[in-house]
Amino acid sequence: MSTRRKIKMALKAAKVVGGIGLLTYVGLFIVFFFDLDGKLLYHVVEPFLVKHYDAMERKNPLESPYKDVPKGQETL
Amino acid sequence: MKIKSVKETLFSAVKTVKEVDYKKIANDFVYGKPHGERRLGDLYIGNTGLYKHREWRGIKDTMYYFNNIWLYTYATMIGDIMKYGGPVTFIKGVWRYRWLGQTYLPVLHWYDRGLEGLRGPALRATAWHYRGMASETIYQFMTMLKADVSRSGGDQKLHDRIVGHDETVWGGIFYPYMDQLDHIPLQMIPYLVTCHVNNHTVLNYIDAVQGIGLPGDPCPMCQAECGLFIADDMPDYCPIVITSNEACDGSVATSILQDWMINKPLFAMPQPMQFDDKSLVKYCMREIEEAWQFIEKEMGVKFNWEELKRNLERQNKLQRFEWEKWDVAANTNYYPVNSVGQALYRIYYSQDGDRQIWHDMDKRVRKIMNYTVENQIETFPMTRHRVIAWSCAPIYYSNWTTWAYNCWGLNVVINMDSLMFDMEIRTDSYEHALEDMAIYHEWAPMRRMVVGGLQHVFELWENMEKFHCDMVIMYDQLHCKGMQGCHGLFEDEFRARDIHAIWIPHALPDKRTVPKSEIRSVINDYMTTVMQETPLDPSLVDFDDDMSW
Repeated sequence: MSTRRKIKMALKAAKVVGGIGLLTYVGLFIVFFFDLDGKLLYHVVEPFLVKHYDAMERKNPLESPYKDVPKGQETL
Repeated sequence: MKIKSVKETLFSAVKTVKEVDYKKIANDFVYGKPHGERRLGDLYIGNTGLYKHREWRGIKDTMYYFNNIWLYTYATMIGDIMKYGGPVTFIKGVWRYRWLGQTYLPVLHWYDRGLEGLRGPALRATAWHYRGMASETIYQFMTMLKADVSRSGGDQKLHDRIVGHDETVWGGIFYPYMDQLDHIPLQMIPYLVTCHVNNHTVLNYIDAVQGIGLPGDPCPMCQAECGLFIADDMPDYCPIVITSNEACDGSVATSILQDWMINKPLFAMPQPMQFDDKSLVKYCMREIEEAWQFIEKEMGVKFNWEELKRNLERQNKLQRFEWEKWDVAANTNYYPVNSVGQALYRIYYSQDGDRQIWHDMDKRVRKIMNYTVENQIETFPMTRHRVIAWSCAPIYYSNWTTWAYNCWGLNVVINMDSLMFDMEIRTDSYEHALEDMAIYHEWAPMRRMVVGGLQHVFELWENMEKFHCDMVIMYDQLHCKGMQGCHGLFEDEFRARDIHAIWIPHALPDKRTVPKSEIRSVINDYMTTVMQETPLDPSLVDFDDDMSW
């Protein structure tokens, strides 16, 4: 492949990468400016996680005996 | 008739277009609207606290916020998560622990609320303080998660090198051993910081402990700390625990419950409430030495004087810079950190103890502060009143100070908790170091100037003068039995000294007792009826944020 062709291909690749980068940057700015991250977290992520936490099986710590410390590790 | 109305509409539109001040619109786009025209309240959506769009602060500051705060924070948070344990550990932790998943994902909104209305150096410096807190928070919870042996994959070796402790046990207690182990407070990340970032999370823990019969009137801080264990929402990341009696003895009962749930070797370090008696300092020194003996016996580590000295000197460096900041805040209009940034950063690092991140952030803030002082840049130009805030603050609404400045020009230049640990620690000898460490530890957050004796409670007056404040915000924590006893004394003093003081009722972490809107209403009423002032931003006077983070 000639050097000129290599340079042409490299420039084309740079343009594509640059274009994707620019679109990503603009997209992120739109997310930032319109608080889309906050809206997603508030309306979708948090309710989903809260539902999961509320339904989680948890051990009942009241059932653990008071002071079940192995011998040699008693509280000072 | 139809043609007439179309003609009239067109005529009106042309008139409007002719009358529009394009120069002003362009100016507002480039530089941002001036303070009195921003109408920040119009940006909120319903009662959620979300924004229709984030604030346009002019091209320079908006792009700074986008690149150097929003993008930078997301990128560095991902970086910190990768550095301290990786995404798998983080995701597992989010899935398992409510305080992590519900609170720390919307952390950028915590930035937004605290930085509302800020421009220029104040925006930059305050954001660096936030960055320090975010980074340290990630370090702590990632360490907790990595060392969590209650789940599969927990690192037992790491677990065995960490000392857990009450959040009001000062991190400096562990300084002699920092080359051999680490310390992570039990409740700072799962409880305290969550209240500032997402005030919904803590309500689950308060309800959990009241659900087993604890009455609702003790301090909700102690309730929530205990509730973490009742709700089975604490990682098992340490083999031993050191507790204290926190801000006051109100914590003793809930410490007993926590001891039951933690079920590990535990050393209790109760500190005297009133400590000006030198003999009590000696008692506290002995307590610290006994805690050290406990750590050495349980963890198999050795006391390292050079390590202690090194960490104390690093802490002293942080304290000296804090004094420089206070000097600028007290005597100039050039202090570049806003009230909430000042208060939260100070209490975080002074209680957590020395970490490298604090030095990194101080370096950046120093550069900005040097710039504002040298160039005499008024960082809060719409200040109408210089305010000192006293007593325990509402941690579910720590950014009320940002609102107060934007709405009424109330600039809270200093607060009580910032003034708590106002000392350097001597390192010339073991005895001097231990004596100073004992005093520092006795002072604990909220303890010295809330329950430490009237002479300390009334340090308000000398600090008011020192910081040239003309107004006081008195926090009125409804569950705090200690300060309730002083209410009348303060009222008498305010009257005698002719001081404008606004009492803000609240319930520390619990937003249900006194909603944020009521706090604003109290301030609004005082500013309109007593001060007879008009708001700088009328859109902020009355709005609903009941369901906001």
